[in-house]
Amino acid sequence: MMARALSRLAPLLAVLGLLAIWQAGSLMLNTESFPTAIQAVRAVPSILGDQESLIHILDSLRRMAIAFAAALLFAIPLGLMMGRSRLVASFFNPLLMITYPVPKAALMPIIMLWLGVGDLAKMLVIFLGVSLPVIYHSFQGARAVEEKMLWSGAAMGLSAPQRMVRIVLPAALPEILTGCRTGLVLALITMVTSEMIARQSGAGNILFNALDMGQYDTVYAMIIIIGAMGIGLDAAFERLRSRLVRWSEPGFDIPLSFA
Amino acid sequence: MKVLPSDPAPARGPASAMIEIDHVSQTFRTSGRQAHLALSDISLTIEDGAFVSILGPSGCGKSTLLYIVGGFVSPTEGEARVKGRAITGPGPDRGPVFQEFALFPWKTVLGNVMYGPRQQGVKSAEAEAQSRRLIEMVGLKGFENFYPKELSGGMKQRVALARTLAYHPAVLLMDEPFGALDAHTRTRLQNDLLNIWERDRKTVLFVTHSVDEAVFLSDKVVVMTRAPGRIKQIVDIELPRPRRRAELLLDPRYQKYVVEIERMIDDTSEDGLQP
Repeated sequence: MMARALSRLAPLLAVLGLLAIWQAGSLMLNTESFPTAIQAVRAVPSILGDQESLIHILDSLRRMAIAFAAALLFAIPLGLMMGRSRLVASFFNPLLMITYPVPKAALMPIIMLWLGVGDLAKMLVIFLGVSLPVIYHSFQGARAVEEKMLWSGAAMGLSAPQRMVRIVLPAALPEILTGCRTGLVLALITMVTSEMIARQSGAGNILFNALDMGQYDTVYAMIIIIGAMGIGLDAAFERLRSRLVRWSEPGFDIPLSFA
Repeated sequence: MKVLPSDPAPARGPASAMIEIDHVSQTFRTSGRQAHLALSDISLTIEDGAFVSILGPSGCGKSTLLYIVGGFVSPTEGEARVKGRAITGPGPDRGPVFQEFALFPWKTVLGNVMYGPRQQGVKSAEAEAQSRRLIEMVGLKGFENFYPKELSGGMKQRVALARTLAYHPAVLLMDEPFGALDAHTRTRLQNDLLNIWERDRKTVLFVTHSVDEAVFLSDKVVVMTRAPGRIKQIVDIELPRPRRRAELLLDPRYQKYVVEIERMIDDTSEDGLQP
């Protein structure tokens, strides 16, 4: 009983413990650039209450949502086609191998040169960051689809495009969604970095402006806000994911013993 | 009782050819870029309503032959025909049942069985009613809303059979369907398959490596040689129907067929073992 209650409270205790260490550390160091946890947490409501800051943060989220959606629309079909067609795979695989290890933020200066420092440049970087893991996982998922499943569909009269949408897509969905989850975290990372490089608006912009002006409690408060956004988005996505692929979840598979 | 492959098919009443396999050969390229002859000059006629088994050791190309009839693989040489028309691809007139079940794991039992009829444009309510009847017929009433993951192997194969029967194929193509099941489950499914088959006598092409299973189920057993697969002999199984396994095991005629075919397989002298 005790153990169960404790394990349920564990995440909360871990966070409180971290904040306590932070608080103690900052009191001991006593430097201006390291505010106490209480100071940082106290700055959170004032940022969220400020209309201008809120607009910045919503701007970030808007760019991220558009770029994330565009990346999925591009990456999932491409990955699935690569997984089912050797020709498509042999064409795109080398391109992906070259672009995969390049940090997408490193492309930011070039992209800014072409597209300026506005929304488009930032969304393009996020788009690139999200696309690669989603392509990769869609590719793996499509490749693993059982041939006989496709044959069964063909015998029922499904055409090749119908098999792609109605068999390959659902069969690869668990793997695709794993890629999307990685993509979502990368979207948040590239969002902040893009705003760090192309300062103009956004959550990253507030953070780095505060850093320039020595408002350290705001810097730490922004880190808390961005972190919380990440945790919130990931948790929401995970709920959606487990609903969509409940049929494939382990732990769900207690086969009945009956012929 | 025995017929050599070159002989015309023996008349079983006013039967017409459902499937004709006409001088079919199949060559595969292996990874070493060598040509591997899987099937060599197969000719076979399967009458409408017949239950025909293709029996052979693994690697003899018996499944490939079934895939050619299914239209999933096109033969390197020769032609296969269904109802006189050349086979160019898969179609709902030929329904496969695979050893691997190949169910759609994101669909429930009912969703799997309804898939074919829905694809064929049957109205949702009607497809559902038909599918529920089929699910009951294969003994899975009460499991309509289960996902494949929650079912045992035998149950999955029952769903796969119902899913294929649901779109009314003229021919059932069964590719070692009970090969992955334990002996007890296999026997139950064999009995149930025969019960279902005896109701509407669809044409069945059944691939197996079990002599027992082939004799028990079939009107005709096509015995194949090792690779490259050729037809060694075709044996007509003249056992009365309906058949029950427990009774047949004691029947000397059944035993005679099993022994005869076992001997045929043992005798490798005519097999294509040349390099």
